[in-house]
Amino acid sequence: MTLSAASRSEIQGYKARYPEPRSAVLPSLWVVQHELGYLPVPAMREIAGILGLEPSEVQAVATFYSMFLDKPAGEHSVVVCRNVSCALRGADELAAHVERTLGCPSGGTTSDGQFTWESTVECLGACGGAPAIQVDHRFHENVTPEVMDAILGRSRSQPAPSVGGESEAASTKQRGEPKTAPRAKRTSRPKRAHIDPGDL
Amino acid sequence: MANKTTTPSSSEGLAEAEKVTVTIDGREVAVPRGSLVVDAASSLGIHIPIYCAHPKLDPVAVCRMCLVRVGKMPRLQPACATVVSDGMVVTTQSPEVAKVREGMLEFLLLNHPLDCPVCDRGGECDLQDFAVRYGPQTSRFPITQKSHAAKAVVLSDKIELDQERCILCWRCTRYYDEITGEKELVLVRRGIDTVIDSFNGEPLTSDFQGNLPEVCPVGALTHRQYRFQARPWDLQRTKGICPECSYGCNINIDARDFEIKRFASRDNPQVEDMWLCDRGRYSVEKWSHGSRVRHPLIRAGGEVREVGVDEAVAEAARQLGEVLRLHGGGAIGVIGSPMLTNEELWLLQRLARETLDCHNCDHQLDELGNVSADEHSLGIAEIEDCETVVVLGAEPEANTPVLTLRLHKAQLRRGVEVRRVEHDASPASLGIKGKRLVGVIADEVHRAYAADMADALASGNTLVKRLTVTRGVNGRGAKDMGMLPTQGPGYSRVTGGKDGRQILHAASAGAIKALLLVGAETVLRGAGILAEKALAKVDVIIAIEPRAGIVANAASVVIPGHTYFEKRGSVTNVEGRVQRVSPALPPATAAPQETRVLAMLAAALGATGWGTGDPFEVNTMLSQAIDAYRGAGNGGRALWKRQGEPR
Ligand code: SF4
Ligand code: FES
Ligand code: FES
Repeated sequence: MTLSAASRSEIQGYKARYPEPRSAVLPSLWVVQHELGYLPVPAMREIAGILGLEPSEVQAVATFYSMFLDKPAGEHSVVVCRNVSCALRGADELAAHVERTLGCPSGGTTSDGQFTWESTVECLGACGGAPAIQVDHRFHENVTPEVMDAILGRSRSQPAPSVGGESEAASTKQRGEPKTAPRAKRTSRPKRAHIDPGDL
Repeated sequence: MANKTTTPSSSEGLAEAEKVTVTIDGREVAVPRGSLVVDAASSLGIHIPIYCAHPKLDPVAVCRMCLVRVGKMPRLQPACATVVSDGMVVTTQSPEVAKVREGMLEFLLLNHPLDCPVCDRGGECDLQDFAVRYGPQTSRFPITQKSHAAKAVVLSDKIELDQERCILCWRCTRYYDEITGEKELVLVRRGIDTVIDSFNGEPLTSDFQGNLPEVCPVGALTHRQYRFQARPWDLQRTKGICPECSYGCNINIDARDFEIKRFASRDNPQVEDMWLCDRGRYSVEKWSHGSRVRHPLIRAGGEVREVGVDEAVAEAARQLGEVLRLHGGGAIGVIGSPMLTNEELWLLQRLARETLDCHNCDHQLDELGNVSADEHSLGIAEIEDCETVVVLGAEPEANTPVLTLRLHKAQLRRGVEVRRVEHDASPASLGIKGKRLVGVIADEVHRAYAADMADALASGNTLVKRLTVTRGVNGRGAKDMGMLPTQGPGYSRVTGGKDGRQILHAASAGAIKALLLVGAETVLRGAGILAEKALAKVDVIIAIEPRAGIVANAASVVIPGHTYFEKRGSVTNVEGRVQRVSPALPPATAAPQETRVLAMLAAALGATGWGTGDPFEVNTMLSQAIDAYRGAGNGGRALWKRQGEPR
């Protein structure tokens, strides 16, 4: 078994909550990603087993959402928006710069396990500060290659912060938890950290 | 998609009959209420292109190929998912619709590899056909910028997937959802990256994968067996019945250069409902191999002589006649096969009983006990009308796999309760009471248990019908024809004789002195050493046999037979449906068909009134002899009087 007893019982709980076990797939996937940091194949099979579904149904959901990871991710996540506004303000050059600096293509993880980055995301909703990026789910706007270097350098020396900024202390759930950030963001706006180049 | 339990009630039955009138492209048509626009149009001969829609699957309307103008609705509507209403006005042919079709096809072809010349589907592909008929004839997109996906992905030992050719219509995933319930294929990832795949790329394990290339509208899913074998215009198509089991699935036999290349489904809603099992579909190869008997042979004193058919028949009659004169009919054993046609089986048992005064006849080796027409009163499609179906013993469907799909459909679509129980379960413990129609399904071995179960469940208001899964393509017909040791045609009472195994025992003990074996190679092979002993011991062995093997090697007279795909006649499926077969391949021998040889043999033995042995003529004769076969025709069920009813 790949999953801890705690995760298994959490999934059981979700199963009991909905009339259709299929409805419990999404929350169950979060449980697994929180525990393991990504969704290994045996874990998806295990979810299917608990929910009484075919493993293929779980995989279909898991692969549909880009925020679920199918392989272990680096300590820090870096997302470079290349949607229209950002593209017009130099996002392509920025992405190329990140690729050169980190030495791996979009979607990849650096060999030291520090960074996983990608540039194939939808508009981050920060067009006003294009080009925009997210590092560990925190926004940075009007980013230039120099600013990028500074942010990456600063992150490299630290563990990833947990979401919300209230507690910087590392917890065991740290790597998975940031993925819930967009949801938290909506209810608690102040927690969204906008950092302008001037702050650095 | 989980719950589509609709129990037909009488009010629904009425609604079904009700008609509404719609106008399509200026023509009026009355169609049943609840029909889809696409079907209403096709009843007028108006073609609306579809990809995701499929007659056996629920509509999803994901491909947007079928958009048409409906009344004053602001946007075009999917014809595959729009239900007709009275007075509806539909336009399928207008510049507006044409433009949308062209646009849809341009999208579909954007990243399509255009590899039709090496695609197995070329010539029978909906993408090809619609592109020609409705598509833009040129592309605005440079071919060098197409995005690529994996080609020739091996999904299993049977199926290959070309992800570039896939148009994401979801038919394959819905087939797995709705028809088999196995959900082996799903859509993985999303947007431009979406592909069809199995969980973690693991091989498919379904027993019904061969239907996938048929539901796929394009060349994305293909048969590995048929890969690069033929083009549709190379194929000669013959309507036939699948040779693998007694379910009687309707197939098209596609042959190229006198070799069968594939079996394709030929939708018969009463039987297989267009779904074939892989065992049957991929049994193609069996029919192109094996060495054949091509000339009549007489074997005497260690010498084998090639002779003409007339001489072989005369010699066979002489040898059989001699045994009959010296030892009587009891010293003769006649074994046929469930692969023979009704016409052959009926003549064969007649030859045995009437001409050779022999009661030792069988079409297989197991002890079957008493067989009754009651055991196939339940029709395959009737399963959906049952309230409860009791399935006795371990998987009777193992012998007729497609039955599994019918049971699944009955459960899913009609809410039929399917109870799987031990073969000796007590009827009282099932708690089935007050049901209108109950089905009992069992295999041949559990025939007696099924009869007891049916008797116990039947009462004043409960009608119980049975389906017994026979073995061999014409295992049911063989019994109907009376190729049984203790029952004659139509399950009539006759003087009892030895069954198949007893014949072989008696032969190896020397009590049986002559064997007449028709197409019995496979049956005898199943008996192993016992058959070899019998064949070594008996001197007079008359064999009509298509294939070389233990029988042809031992026989004193061999007359070349015809394989299942070389002959004309009828076979009866598990539910008593009489279906015609005709040659899909030219015979490998110049000898006449078995029915004619049997008629010649009877005449040579002095019998009269047998006619020429023409299969149609024999069919007429047997239909007169067996009541139930009179109204069956081609494709109808033989209707038997229920036991206890006056005949
Ligand atoms: S593989 Fe064929 S059936 Fe399946 S989604 Fe693609 S085109 Fe449709
Ligand atoms: S386009 Fe980049 S944030 Fe909107
Ligand atoms: S056929 Fe109607 S939307 Fe696909």
